Amino acid sequence: MFKKWLKDVYWPLFFAMLALSALGLMFIYSSSYRDAGEYQIKQLFWMAVGFSIFFLMPFVGYRTFLSSSYLLYAVSIVLLIWVDIAGHTRLGAQRWIGIGPFVIQPSEFAKLSTVLALANFLGSHHSWEKENRIILGAVAITVVPMVLIMSQPDLGTSLLFIPVLLSVLLLWGIRYRYLIASVVIGAASAPFLWMFLKEYQKKRILVFLNPHLDPLGSGYTAIQSKIAVGSGGFWGKGYLQGTQSQLNFVPEHHTDFIFCVLGEEWGFLGALLLLGLYAYLFHALFQIIKHTTDFKAKLLSAGVLSVLFAQVFINIGMSIGMMPIAGLPLPFVSYGGSSFVSISIALGLVLSVHKERSIF
Amino acid sequence: MRFILFRIGIYLGLAVLLGGLFHTQVIHGRYYHTLGDKNRIRLIPLEAPRGRVYDRHGKLLAANRAAYDLVVTPEDMDRDTVPTLAKLLKTPESDIRARLKAPREYPFAPAVVREDISRELAFHIEEHRSELAGVEIQVTGLRHYPFGTAGSHVIGFIGKINQEEYAANRENQDQFGLNSTIGRAGIEKIYDRDLRGWRGGRQIEVNARGKMIRLLNERDPEAGRDLTVTLDMELQQTVMELIGPRNASVMMLDLESEEFLVLASTPAFDPNAFVSPASLKQRIAYLNDKASPLVDRGVSSAYPPGSVFKLVTALAGLDSGKITTQSHFFCSGQYRLTPNSVPRKCWFARGHGNVGVYQALERSCNVFFYNVGKKLSADQISDYAHRLGLGEIVPIEATNITAGLVPNSDWKRKQFKEKWYQGETLSFAIGQSYLLTSPLQILRMTSIIAKDGDWVEPRLVRSVNARKKDKRKVNIKKQDIEIVKKGMLQVVQSNYGTGQLARVDFGEIAAKTGTAQAPPKNSHAWMTGFFPYENPRVAFVVFVEHGGSGGVASAGIVKGMLQRWQGDYVQEVA
Repeated sequence: MFKKWLKDVYWPLFFAMLALSALGLMFIYSSSYRDAGEYQIKQLFWMAVGFSIFFLMPFVGYRTFLSSSYLLYAVSIVLLIWVDIAGHTRLGAQRWIGIGPFVIQPSEFAKLSTVLALANFLGSHHSWEKENRIILGAVAITVVPMVLIMSQPDLGTSLLFIPVLLSVLLLWGIRYRYLIASVVIGAASAPFLWMFLKEYQKKRILVFLNPHLDPLGSGYTAIQSKIAVGSGGFWGKGYLQGTQSQLNFVPEHHTDFIFCVLGEEWGFLGALLLLGLYAYLFHALFQIIKHTTDFKAKLLSAGVLSVLFAQVFINIGMSIGMMPIAGLPLPFVSYGGSSFVSISIALGLVLSVHKERSIF
Repeated sequence: MRFILFRIGIYLGLAVLLGGLFHTQVIHGRYYHTLGDKNRIRLIPLEAPRGRVYDRHGKLLAANRAAYDLVVTPEDMDRDTVPTLAKLLKTPESDIRARLKAPREYPFAPAVVREDISRELAFHIEEHRSELAGVEIQVTGLRHYPFGTAGSHVIGFIGKINQEEYAANRENQDQFGLNSTIGRAGIEKIYDRDLRGWRGGRQIEVNARGKMIRLLNERDPEAGRDLTVTLDMELQQTVMELIGPRNASVMMLDLESEEFLVLASTPAFDPNAFVSPASLKQRIAYLNDKASPLVDRGVSSAYPPGSVFKLVTALAGLDSGKITTQSHFFCSGQYRLTPNSVPRKCWFARGHGNVGVYQALERSCNVFFYNVGKKLSADQISDYAHRLGLGEIVPIEATNITAGLVPNSDWKRKQFKEKWYQGETLSFAIGQSYLLTSPLQILRMTSIIAKDGDWVEPRLVRSVNARKKDKRKVNIKKQDIEIVKKGMLQVVQSNYGTGQLARVDFGEIAAKTGTAQAPPKNSHAWMTGFFPYENPRVAFVVFVEHGGSGGVASAGIVKGMLQRWQGDYVQEVA
């Protein structure tokens, strides 16, 4: 039994997770050891929870999730509406709701259930039948939670749905010209979306284009995080020696801006290490996708992969001014239970895909 | 195929990130490193206390007192801070907001909202600090002048540094900061560099809220150098009282050391009014006052010297050999240059009769000096005036020193495109015409005479290193000077003398009075001289603007001043 379990676990995936979490733990400590809160201890707890779920997921099996994906999707939509009405207001946005002693972030849940629903929906239809309708259906599945999350308002998370939709559609077999057309339409509709944005979101985007518009206001974070990462140079300032984050010039440095701490203290070498670990993680996921024969499972894993990639890209990109500031955690590295657990669930699903790769 | 495309897309994304990081960290790393240091390292300047100024007996003329400044760190304020402050200070909110917007030396620097608040208010605010976010009370040193108006023209005043002054001293940040004070007049201005000292500073590491994390480096400010002026402030105060409400300039010089004992000018101002911004009204009143209290009448203003100038004419006549002690002229009370010209009057209408140089000085006979003037040219008189230092700046430690005006024929040609008329020479000979002298110049002239022609360089500040004495002598024969001195003795000691009201019972004064016409107003009253006649120890000048007769208005002040001096400097020795 145990031997079988050992054989079924795709270890490279776990090692990548473990290495990233360990790196995260180090920098959570570095960025918060001056403050009370013992974040690294709490994160250890979340790691234990996350890894347990990761290893337990194959016992449930991704098929169960796929078959109940519409239900989960419906629940997550209800939760999103609920959070809009009853959610706690934190940092000016309604993102959390309390269930008993727990505070959960329905947008994390919605991300996963949408990926599941998309995989299930697209996986049940072939690309050669009624392509237009199916694409519209997939778009609808994606847009509903997206709009709800955007209205929380949480622009960063809502934008993650776009690369997920595109990559899943790509693998599903959408005609290239449709894919290109949708990108063009998306770009063209940006001005309309602009009207729906909250004032602070508009500001963020304007400031992204020119951070010095408001160097002490909305441009502050963009400038300071870039200074933090840049000042690390090639070798970095040394562990616990970063001044930008240690002295609070960069806000939220144990959560969304944790890369600034790493970039400042370990420099380009540290960033290289981190990106290498992500590449290793993605490589592991690609291997699983490659070897599974279940089309739905392929789509599901690809969806998970693109969510992770998009988070990494936006998070690191924003710290060096390549992307606008968006409140997104760096997968496995940022402090935060919701994020860690939901990614663990997602990767647990992929692990289960690996386990059941040769069921046919 | 699609899978490979997807895969390539993801790896490409990572490569793009890596490229961005390489660009930011490796290529521009140094640049961001500097920016990071600028963020965290802050230099907090500490102002140096200004040096103190003492008088010759160690009395404080300028000191520093503790003052309470109300400062606000705008970054730490909350919404209620400004309205609450406005109520406390009884000032409009816009006022406070304007102060908060003024340029600051570094981010998170507290902005001074109100300087020098009362002790009660300071304590009240300190007790209610919790309700006033960002507000603090800073204790600073503030300039203080214990003697107020008495030495104001000598000490001068200070002001807050302005943009141009700050820019001009940019390279000298050790001494000049954005909030520094700077000397604007008098000793405070001339010795500003010595008095201001060296600013200290603390190099600190701060966090994003500007709170200090640790001290990186510290240098204590170095107080400015203390100075001693040569004045005797008690004597000066006595003189101020003697002058009373009149506009006047009074000076007394110690002939041995060539140090000023008295340098008083009225109306005076209170230099304390320039220290605190709260006294803005008082400052504006000074600036608008028609009597110009900010001007030192003795140093910066020049007036016709009137009969005091007869000393120069007499010396010119004697030294050039045009007259001797035997020369006598008849004064009928009036004088005509030529039989056809308009008669010029002597001040004594009945005439002085037949007078020589001694009586002429003693009685200040105009007719005698018209005759001397007729024998001399304007350029000759002008030359002797210059030999005695008139028409030239007296280099003392003061600001706005006037050179006065000693005319000659060249000057007139340039100024009026006209030749010099002999009639003007006559006016020149009795100290009128275009001639203008400052009381300071007259004092130096008298001092030179008292010292038998030794060149005199009066000074106001005791320097650390002894100054090289200028051994020069003026180019006038000693016996001629002695003749004039004897004439001056008679001015006071003779019962016909114009200055006899100044006579004192403890010694003999030598002096010369002057009553310079200043139509349409009353004449200026002059008196200058030295004491005692034998081995003179002090020289003095008293000038009362529109004071009337020199022998009356000025003589009283001379007498009072010498009595006080005698009491302080001679009696105790004896």
